[in-house]
Amino acid sequence: MKRYGEHRFPGKLFVVEGLDGSGKSTQLSLLHQWLRAEGYGTVFSEWNSSPLVRDTTRRGKKKKMLTPATFCLIHSTDFADRMEHNIIPLLKAGAVVLCDRYIYTAFARDVVRGMDPEWVRELYAFAVKPTAAFYFRVPLDVAMNRLINGRNGFKFYEAGMDLDLSADPAESFEIFQGHILEEYEKMIPEFDLTVVDATRPIEEQQTQMRQLVKAKLAQAKRLRVAP
Amino acid sequence: MRETYGVLLPEMKLDNLPGKLIVIEGTDGVGRSTQIGLLKPWLEQGGHAVVDTGMSRSKLVSRGIKQAKQGHTLGAVTLNLFYATDFADRLENEIIPALRAGFVVLTDRYIYSLMARAVVRGIDPSWIQNVYKFALIPDAVFYLRIGVDDLIPRVVFSTGFDYWESGMDLHPSEDMYESFRKYQTALLAQFDTLAGEYNFEVIDASREISAVFEDLREGITRVLADKEQPLPEPLRDQAAMEGQELQESPAAGNNGAGT
Repeated sequence: MKRYGEHRFPGKLFVVEGLDGSGKSTQLSLLHQWLRAEGYGTVFSEWNSSPLVRDTTRRGKKKKMLTPATFCLIHSTDFADRMEHNIIPLLKAGAVVLCDRYIYTAFARDVVRGMDPEWVRELYAFAVKPTAAFYFRVPLDVAMNRLINGRNGFKFYEAGMDLDLSADPAESFEIFQGHILEEYEKMIPEFDLTVVDATRPIEEQQTQMRQLVKAKLAQAKRLRVAP
Repeated sequence: MRETYGVLLPEMKLDNLPGKLIVIEGTDGVGRSTQIGLLKPWLEQGGHAVVDTGMSRSKLVSRGIKQAKQGHTLGAVTLNLFYATDFADRLENEIIPALRAGFVVLTDRYIYSLMARAVVRGIDPSWIQNVYKFALIPDAVFYLRIGVDDLIPRVVFSTGFDYWESGMDLHPSEDMYESFRKYQTALLAQFDTLAGEYNFEVIDASREISAVFEDLREGITRVLADKEQPLPEPLRDQAAMEGQELQESPAAGNNGAGT
């Protein structure tokens, strides 16, 4: 088992992180389009965990059986499955792999739920260190405003309802997201996250992303495949 | 006050857990479940309420693990985290509530088997030890120790070689016998390492069932003797007697019934 940072694969891994409503998924799909047009073998790592891990997670959530500890551990199981069966093989094959959310989501969420920060980081030591991790920084009220129209209620764990922050799901969600934001801010220096100001125009954010990705891919010309 | 191996889970309260956590460890086929089957009624006759529990029996995960093992589809890290989820679920929902209620929790394996199996499968030892840092430190760990040469005939003439217990996922080209021997030898070496690190009480399990049972009774009696709650009469007498015997004739060894 290799630990975080010890992996040396020909492929490259780019991840986006940020609050719901930060616009990170939009930016990642624009990046995907561009990389493909540039001729790179690019793959979106889908969260296609094996059915049995997924079923356990789903059942635990549906029946509200999960404590902070089992929530954390079942999600780490799910992530490990994705790492072992999807991300690592793709990186070995020399692909440019894109991930919408990565270990930093787990660190933020689990620590807000009261898990020991160092323990959670060590738990995910099997993960591959990303080539670059973009953090889409957005003030809480902006993210909440962007979500209001698109959202049709919140799920129990998604809104942090297990933490008794508020009896109202929307209010609980907002408080929960506020705590997540604090955790993200702490992680910027710790993991050298690349901050993108997500209040700027979409085009400008994309330009910033492409510049960095281009620099990181400069030494990896062989990742290009025929378009 | 109880302790964990270094990490507290949210809302994990370690005070007021008057029960006893007793672990029976040992490799596959060494006779753990036989001994637990004997210990449980013995403890109950002594007036103790007993909960017996084992690996992959949690409500949350057990079904998924069973399916995973049938399909042999999960990677090593994934499978170990799946086990850790199962363990956390049992710790929070079964073991801690039972200890709080004053039960004797008799557990068929604990984190040590999970760690030994993981390391044999190439998992980083310090990583897996960190994973289980939230586990409660038991009151005693009895390790049923056996050599691979004594183990093989037992397994052959009872359950036969099992895919996982033979480590066939590690040595797919070998026959079951060769694979079992290699795998169990590596596993036993890991257990020996853990025995020192985690203060196991080692019991020679190559002997007859009754001899192993006697050692276990003696060890458990000692653990229960300092239970915070008053002991039921029969056991307190027994505990006191054995304590006296030990003090009076430390060199005499086992002179109790059955010899």
